[in-house]
Amino acid sequence: MKKVNNPLNEKEFKALISKRKDNLFYLIILIFMTFFLFFSLSQMNINPARVIRGFSTLSDLIKNMFPPDFGQLSRLWPLAIESIQIAILGTVLGIIFSITLSMFAAKNLTPIPGLGVILKGFFAFTRAVPALVWALLFITAVGLGTLPGILALGVNSIGMLGKVFSESFENINKATIEGLNSTGASRMQVFFQGVVPETIPIILSWSLFRFDINIRYSSILGVVGAGGIGWELVRASRMRDYPALLMVILVILVMVYAVEQFTGYARRVVR
Amino acid sequence: MDRNMENNLAQLKKSRRPGQLRLLFAIILVIVAVIWSWAGTGFSIPAIMRGVPRIYNFIIDDLIPPRFDSWQKFLNPTLQTLYMAYVGAIFAIILSLGLGIISANNLISNRLIVYLGRGISSFLRAVPAVAWAVILVAAVGLGPFAGTIAIALGGAGMLGKTYADSLEEIDMGQVEALKAVGASWFQVLTQAVLPQFLPDFFTWSFYRFDLNIRSAAVVGLVGAGGLGFSLDTAIRLFQFREATMGILWIFGLILIVEFITAKSRDKILEGL
Repeated sequence: MKKVNNPLNEKEFKALISKRKDNLFYLIILIFMTFFLFFSLSQMNINPARVIRGFSTLSDLIKNMFPPDFGQLSRLWPLAIESIQIAILGTVLGIIFSITLSMFAAKNLTPIPGLGVILKGFFAFTRAVPALVWALLFITAVGLGTLPGILALGVNSIGMLGKVFSESFENINKATIEGLNSTGASRMQVFFQGVVPETIPIILSWSLFRFDINIRYSSILGVVGAGGIGWELVRASRMRDYPALLMVILVILVMVYAVEQFTGYARRVVR
Repeated sequence: MDRNMENNLAQLKKSRRPGQLRLLFAIILVIVAVIWSWAGTGFSIPAIMRGVPRIYNFIIDDLIPPRFDSWQKFLNPTLQTLYMAYVGAIFAIILSLGLGIISANNLISNRLIVYLGRGISSFLRAVPAVAWAVILVAAVGLGPFAGTIAIALGGAGMLGKTYADSLEEIDMGQVEALKAVGASWFQVLTQAVLPQFLPDFFTWSFYRFDLNIRSAAVVGLVGAGGLGFSLDTAIRLFQFREATMGILWIFGLILIVEFITAKSRDKILEGL
């Protein structure tokens, strides 16, 4: 039998086939994504004419915003401060509860094995439900004001920080805990002498990160009535007072920027 | 030997002191900030103590069990939330590709354009999506159109920055090599820049889609369509058990989308 001079060996041939299959796979994905894009657009009644009209009304509105109403500043300033204060208390509340709950959620520290799973489910739920929705619920329960805003940020923060903290507790050196246990340390002593010192950098950097996020949320919590500057956005737009609307946005920008500069500095110091 | 240890100990003490001072300073700062906020917001322990039973009663009496038979009410809003997040992500990606390229200082030699690009993305990013939604509802009216554009603008701010940062980190040797053989700007972009940029591109774009679902779920609270709008309506009508159903829909939608994006991202990154 004549030997066929095959330029490709078997392995290369298979690689070529699978590559072709991969290309087909990507093509199908791309077609599906394009189809879904146009399907979504039609479901929402978004069409080119409406987009063009939308942009012309938007540019009219932006023209009406200028110049911003600086006269509002003296009124907006205290509200921005209130937003920062809500974020501070919400974050601190979140940190305290996250650390406490993480002691019971971490597999290696929990006194009751099943509790960890339940708490992690609780973290996933509080994380997935957005802060504004929590605010809406707390308003119904405790009334309008800053309290529902603080509670909403706190609960939403527990979802994220609880997950990160309990995972970092689980990753600590086993020898640390065993060493402390062998000296007869109590559960609390093990936690504060062994676990906390080892995870403090993680706790600090995530807490700062969460504070950044909470500042953004606290600037809009007011749209549902949970305190701070957010309500002014809704008020100005309902009254069609666009220069004031722009001023509110500028104040939010300055507030978010200033806090970000501060947390950036704090992060460098912590490191 | 002893002296060596003493030296070490002295050094250790010296190196720890500034750290401890800074820690002390940080603790004082946090305590002052908390007291300041406590006074400013009128936060009080009695109010919390009064609030806890009210929250408990609200959950037990009003929220649970959810009205499962109202699930159909939330089907369309859920789909609308998904559409807003998806179209918002595609618009944001298209906008950000342009924004990212002009903001990468290794691809654009004109400093002014780079600063302009960076400035636009940080402005878009700094304004929260809900604030964009308020403006857009005022401009184009209630409904998912306003929400979609709001989500796209917020997303473009983040993606414009992350795309530009990734583009600036690519290996310029490949770019120089192609330029040396006389490739055009467009050829350099597709042959040298794009292959290096793709992994980051997919990672960030999928992450943005995840975030968009969360934004899309809340822009409805200011009238921009989706689940937030139905949720707000249910709460205003005191239909709390229906609202619980809506929250379960949000929870479910976020979990499903996160699962799907994680799977497809891994699949795509594997193939690159």
